[in-house]
Amino acid sequence: MTRRQNAGPIRLLAAALLLASAACGGDGGGDGAADADIKVGAIFDLTGPTADVGTDYADGMRGYADWMNLRGGIEGRPIDLIYQDYAYQVARAEQLYSQFVNEGVVVFMGWGTGDTEALRLRITEDEIPFSSASLSHVLGDPADSPYNFLVASSYTDQFRIALDWIARNHGEGTPVVALMHNASPFGLSPSRHGGVEFAAALGIDLTLYEMPRGAVDYTAEFSRIRQSGARYVVFQNTSGPAAVALQNARSLGVDATFICLNWCSNAQLVQLAGEAAEGVVGTIPYAPLSVDVPGTRVIREYLEAKGESIEGRTNAYTQAWWTFSIFAEAMKQVLASDQELTGANIKAALETFTDLDMGGVTVPITFTPTDHRGAKGLRIFRVEGGEWVPLTEFVQAPAAP
Amino acid sequence: MSLECGVFHTRYESDMGLRRWPAERIRLAVFAVFVLVFPFVAGPYWLDLANQVAIATVGAIGLNILVGYTGQISLGQGAFMAIGAYSAGLLTLNLGLPWGVSIALACVFTSVAGTFFGLPSLRLKGLYLAIATLAAQEIVEWAMTHWTAVTGGTEAIVLPAPSLFGVRLNTTFNFYWFGVAMAAGTALFAANLFRTRMGRAFVAVRDQDIAASVIGVNLFRTKLLAFATSSFFVGLAGAMIAYYRTIITWERFTLDTSIVYLAMIIVGGLGSIRGSFFGAALITLLPALITNAGRALQETAPMVAGLLPYAQQAVFGIVIILFLIFEPKGLSKLWGNVKDYFHVWPFAYRRG
Repeated sequence: MTRRQNAGPIRLLAAALLLASAACGGDGGGDGAADADIKVGAIFDLTGPTADVGTDYADGMRGYADWMNLRGGIEGRPIDLIYQDYAYQVARAEQLYSQFVNEGVVVFMGWGTGDTEALRLRITEDEIPFSSASLSHVLGDPADSPYNFLVASSYTDQFRIALDWIARNHGEGTPVVALMHNASPFGLSPSRHGGVEFAAALGIDLTLYEMPRGAVDYTAEFSRIRQSGARYVVFQNTSGPAAVALQNARSLGVDATFICLNWCSNAQLVQLAGEAAEGVVGTIPYAPLSVDVPGTRVIREYLEAKGESIEGRTNAYTQAWWTFSIFAEAMKQVLASDQELTGANIKAALETFTDLDMGGVTVPITFTPTDHRGAKGLRIFRVEGGEWVPLTEFVQAPAAP
Repeated sequence: MSLECGVFHTRYESDMGLRRWPAERIRLAVFAVFVLVFPFVAGPYWLDLANQVAIATVGAIGLNILVGYTGQISLGQGAFMAIGAYSAGLLTLNLGLPWGVSIALACVFTSVAGTFFGLPSLRLKGLYLAIATLAAQEIVEWAMTHWTAVTGGTEAIVLPAPSLFGVRLNTTFNFYWFGVAMAAGTALFAANLFRTRMGRAFVAVRDQDIAASVIGVNLFRTKLLAFATSSFFVGLAGAMIAYYRTIITWERFTLDTSIVYLAMIIVGGLGSIRGSFFGAALITLLPALITNAGRALQETAPMVAGLLPYAQQAVFGIVIILFLIFEPKGLSKLWGNVKDYFHVWPFAYRRG
């Protein structure tokens, strides 16, 4: 081999090293700047399996930070939202979390159930208040997870509300319910953390059906559901798979009432499932932008001022926006009382919240040192003419039997 | 076997050493000093990355023993890591064993499981074996999520923090030493393995299994031993993750993990110990570097930064394709080229 041939890979290596050192250098330089900024870390799923709702959630978070900064930030300190896509991978989430904490974030906005679970112990050690879009019931128990805060009714509570609604509207006989769930901790959360017991207490015949990841056909599941005589199908999944299942069910002629929990009851479901979404019932903790309350008006005004359309924005946007607002409120209280902005102080401030007004998008939020399930109620919606329309006023989750 | 100008080995021991030349020893010393100094100057973020690299190195060397040295393709890396992690965790939780004992037993257990799933390799080669190991991956993944009585199903398993003489091990700084020790031990073992009869037999099986059996290599035994040895270290990597994070979730050990590890050894260099380390480092650090590049661009070029998450998905593929085309022997060969270039630098004359 001559020297000329050899030089190519070496130049490549040199270039790679240069790039790497430039990246490290740039990272180090940013640390000292703008110490007045309030750093908030976030991970979003923009490219992974839950990107269908994750993208809108990310936009909502960024929208709120931007809106708050336009109004002068929190007590005059601008929010620096540090975020990255993590593609729903636990290892990536851990990497980003440790990076962001290293850069001095004081609160962290998480996403999936798996990564929230994986980070639970570390946030406690680092004293970083953590909001996840995962509403797993167990995360709301401060004895196990002192720094996790649930800002919407937990999956279990949502499932209980749905079951309660079924029991009350069913009439004669034993209601047979099928729970179709994502094949993950997220999917199993509602049944495993109290849902099964609750169904038994109400005299409901409940069977679980797993929806394999990436499936495009649920005929086998629906034929079993039909055999079981189920008249109600509850989905615990994101809108993409739920829409596929709805279309499946429609073409198979399954005669049942479909109920979507949190992550599939949104505008995207209607868009994807079209006609098949008509009449679907949803437990929606955070109102979609089409519902006119002060809490959605402020978002619509912001989007209009930005020249963006609300078209295609789902309730994930509202949920992200108002989730952020709860933590912003806590940080504001900490700063207003001249305390240092630390995770522990923010946690203490959050735990004083009693009936915090949420602009009508969800029930008022209450946290106590022994209960981090901030909201226990929600409105039930139904798809009518391609729109999610409120079916009930706010209903509280029935107590565990 | 290259010769170094002016160095004459007068004893068999020095001729057969792992590091035979002064330059090699100096490089090793420089690297050792870097490894020793690094944790004192690096912040927790870089230490965390270093720990991930250490764990990935152990796993990649393990996989390389099987794929790179013995030529048996495996898509079951994630499954074997899961077996290591779960058995290390469950042994401590259910039987109350100390973490060190659990990790050791987990390695042995993974080794046995790996041998079992390696049985098809006696009949299958290449793509067919890949599919058989893919089955192992799927079976283990299914067991992790559905065998609720043992694994707790999809729920995470929380482990007590490991400590050594009263010092907590799973802080980034303390774990670094454990991780480095394990990675160094694994590398040393593997480097020596391929100087033994058994190691040479692995390589012979890779190069031409029929010829190997003709010259007296027992294919049955050798292939299964390769699976056992490989799985031992892969299980160790899994157990290390379990005790580093003290939380075990099945989502960490999916097919993605298997593919990422294959990428590591392809990019690093098949059949190379240092390549395993290079690959583990590159594949672990690459997403972090892209992330940092994206954030640097967020202010100056928001449009480009917005596309980066999607680019990141493609970069893995592109990196592997580029390596396969331009340097199939991976980073290890690139490093060899650098060494060759500087061998008699700055004098242009080169041997061969």
